[in-house]
Amino acid sequence: MGGTCAIAPLLQIKDLSKSFEKRYLVQTTSFSLEDIDLELFDGEVVGILGESGSGKSTLANIITRLTPFNAGQVLFRGKDITSFSPDESFKFRSEVQVVFQDPFGSLNPRFKIRTSVKEGLKLHQPHLSSGEMDGQVDDLLRKVGLDAENSDKYPHEISGGQQQRVAIARAIAVEPRLLICDEPLSSLDVSIQAQIIELFVSLLKDLNLAMLFISHDINVVGLLCDRIYVMHDGRIVESGETAAIMNSPTSDYTAKLLDSAF
Amino acid sequence: MRSLANGWIEKCAIVVAAAVIVMAIIGPHVAPHDPLAVDFRNRLVEPSWTYLLGTDGSGRDVLSRILHGAQLTILSTATVIATVLIIGCALGIFSAFVGGTVDNFLMRIADIWLGFPPLILALGFAASLGSSLEAAIWALIFSWWPTYARLSRMITVDILSRKFVASARALGVSTWRQVTHYVVPNAFDVIIIQITLDISAVMLAISGLSFIGVGAQIPEPEWGAMIAEGRSFTASGWWIVTFPGLMIFITALSFNVIGDMLRRELDPTLTARH
Amino acid sequence: MGRHLQRDVEMPGTDRLFVVENLCVSLRASGRMMVNNIGFSVDAGEIFGLAGESGSGKTLLMRTAIGLHNDAYVSSGRIRFRQLEITAHDHGKRMKDLLGHEIGFVPQDPFSSLNPTVRIGKQIQEALQLGKGLQPGSAAARKTTLELLREVGIPEADAAAEQFPDQFSGGMRQRIVIAIALSQEPSILVADEPTTALDAHTQRKIIDLIIERSRNRNLAVILISHNLELLRQNVDRIAVMYGGQLLNIIASESVGKNLGHPYTESLFNCIPKRDMQLGDIRSIPGEPVNAGFGIKGCAFSKRCRFREDLCDVSNIPTNKAANHQFDACLVKTKAWEEPAP
Repeated sequence: MGGTCAIAPLLQIKDLSKSFEKRYLVQTTSFSLEDIDLELFDGEVVGILGESGSGKSTLANIITRLTPFNAGQVLFRGKDITSFSPDESFKFRSEVQVVFQDPFGSLNPRFKIRTSVKEGLKLHQPHLSSGEMDGQVDDLLRKVGLDAENSDKYPHEISGGQQQRVAIARAIAVEPRLLICDEPLSSLDVSIQAQIIELFVSLLKDLNLAMLFISHDINVVGLLCDRIYVMHDGRIVESGETAAIMNSPTSDYTAKLLDSAF
Repeated sequence: MRSLANGWIEKCAIVVAAAVIVMAIIGPHVAPHDPLAVDFRNRLVEPSWTYLLGTDGSGRDVLSRILHGAQLTILSTATVIATVLIIGCALGIFSAFVGGTVDNFLMRIADIWLGFPPLILALGFAASLGSSLEAAIWALIFSWWPTYARLSRMITVDILSRKFVASARALGVSTWRQVTHYVVPNAFDVIIIQITLDISAVMLAISGLSFIGVGAQIPEPEWGAMIAEGRSFTASGWWIVTFPGLMIFITALSFNVIGDMLRRELDPTLTARH
Repeated sequence: MGRHLQRDVEMPGTDRLFVVENLCVSLRASGRMMVNNIGFSVDAGEIFGLAGESGSGKTLLMRTAIGLHNDAYVSSGRIRFRQLEITAHDHGKRMKDLLGHEIGFVPQDPFSSLNPTVRIGKQIQEALQLGKGLQPGSAAARKTTLELLREVGIPEADAAAEQFPDQFSGGMRQRIVIAIALSQEPSILVADEPTTALDAHTQRKIIDLIIERSRNRNLAVILISHNLELLRQNVDRIAVMYGGQLLNIIASESVGKNLGHPYTESLFNCIPKRDMQLGDIRSIPGEPVNAGFGIKGCAFSKRCRFREDLCDVSNIPTNKAANHQFDACLVKTKAWEEPAP
């Protein structure tokens, strides 16, 4: 989709680097991202494939501006995300949203489902009346496959799959252009994973949404994504069209991952 | 929270704590005598129908003094707790949000502070402020805030590392709202347990300071001061020290039991959330 | 189906090593029955898979069956290990003798199953002392330790024996755990999600190691996993559990060919596989049922495409004779029982 030079990418990462150290008593673990280059166009589904410790989640945090970085550039619609004015910064918050791995941990335990989903609406569509917002919340919950009666429950009263649906509803409530999914399936049961995959597919069809799908599961990434970046030890070792990577990987690491996947 | 009070000890503790609080509210109005009125003709009267708990060395009614003292003790304890709670938590949450050097600096100060036994610190401070109940209260506030600063900072750091705060930030939720709607409600459990456990500790500290002589002054009807005053009469008037001592004992004990019970019930490591 | 049934009738338990019959598992605290009337058998040297989603009771069943669970107990039914009959009554005592000798166990998390303060060579020698009476530090114990480390693919075994667990990666630790389990020369190895905590490319190596050891030592393996595709590729037969019930025992080559229980097939269709298109994923509607709710009828009926009224009310068939193949689908059972028109 739209890989020509004429169209500017929605998200562009150039030579991104980040390093940090964690110190515990005597042990020091250092970690770094090096020379990350990545492009993502409007409406595209791009996968980042990597094992734990590859730096893929750090990358997600950098793109969502939850973590600073050392060198390089992250451009959103051609503009450096570190040079945003407060207004642009606020608008960016509605355009890039994120869904995390642990659905229970990503919902405020003291908020009812309705409050959680409403949080973004209150911020980014303050002109709506309370009634209109409630209506929108009901619509959103329906869109992610939840009964409206769940809206008065607390997160611990619903199942993990339902929690993840709520997290997705909250993310799409502000009508983002880019949805970053950081291992959204990993803590769910097999049959629920399939439900959430189906939900993503239907959302991609209905909404004008680009998606950055971060996962360790080569089969899921292969199924959902148009293009894939393979990450290993803080570097991108391979990138390309899904079919090309799945059928004839050029890097040894990708080949090894393909070999070992069940 | 379903079965808060299952044991009879917990039930008793709740009843006693409630009774003490009721006593603090209505005590001064139902007291049969003036707690400060000296009456040398009736000094050291044994408990009787006129003086239910007897009179002290200056002929003051012990029951009336205990009833007035309840208000004094509870109010001073509440003042200390409320103030250290506000100051400590504000500092702790601020420290956790700002992080870095400021965080390090504040927490090292708190650490050094915690290195001194609070009662000794309070004793020195109260003595230098001049001996009065107000001085004791100030001294305890001064020595107690680091507990809450450390605790609230620790909880806040933990909450900030959780993904729901990350999602809130990704939505652009303001820092103030993160504090009021995300951090404080989720820190509540742990803080409330600490408060219940501290109530008895502060109460004992106030009485202790008064007993030593740097807190409430004779003839104020504070329980610790009453024991200090009654010390010299232990042989001739056992009731003068026994009843205030008993009050301190059962009040502190019941708040402690309630604190322990809350901790058992709310401790996130003991109760699975799913 | 018929062929296997026949075999069971003709040769009752010739090469059966571990047989579970009508086994029920209950919780100690509440007495609530979690797992109902389970029956299966594992032959000597066979690799047997136990599949199910979280809450299906698969881990609870196996851990309790081999006497590892502190909070649950075998409330009825029996286990036969070789010639040894173990009833609910003497289960705890008997299993204590078998576990760690005849039965080896590999837990899910290799990070907490090794003592962090003891060198791994010593940990293996301790196991050897318990299992074979070899004196720790003796030449024989050292030699066997190094052999075991080499057998599970630890490079430079001599040096490795002198190291502490935290000097190894997760995959290497799991190999050490397997070495400890093998040190007792068990005849059956129970592996509870042995690869879930590991990286993708380590997972396959560990599974391969377990299977290779099984073939070489004629070691029976019960591999517990939530990943039906992993089991299909690696084990001989798969038992599928759901909501505390055993719904299916099926040869792994039959999975995905519409031969098994509807749940087995639906679960298989949920798993993203290499050559799939997006449309091939077919999720199961609704939420998984947890074990222990005293479900009437088939636990899967609420989510099943083939549900009929009897699914909610009839008791599902149980694998009483611990047959090699088993299907608890009530709809299918009915079809067999009704004479063809």
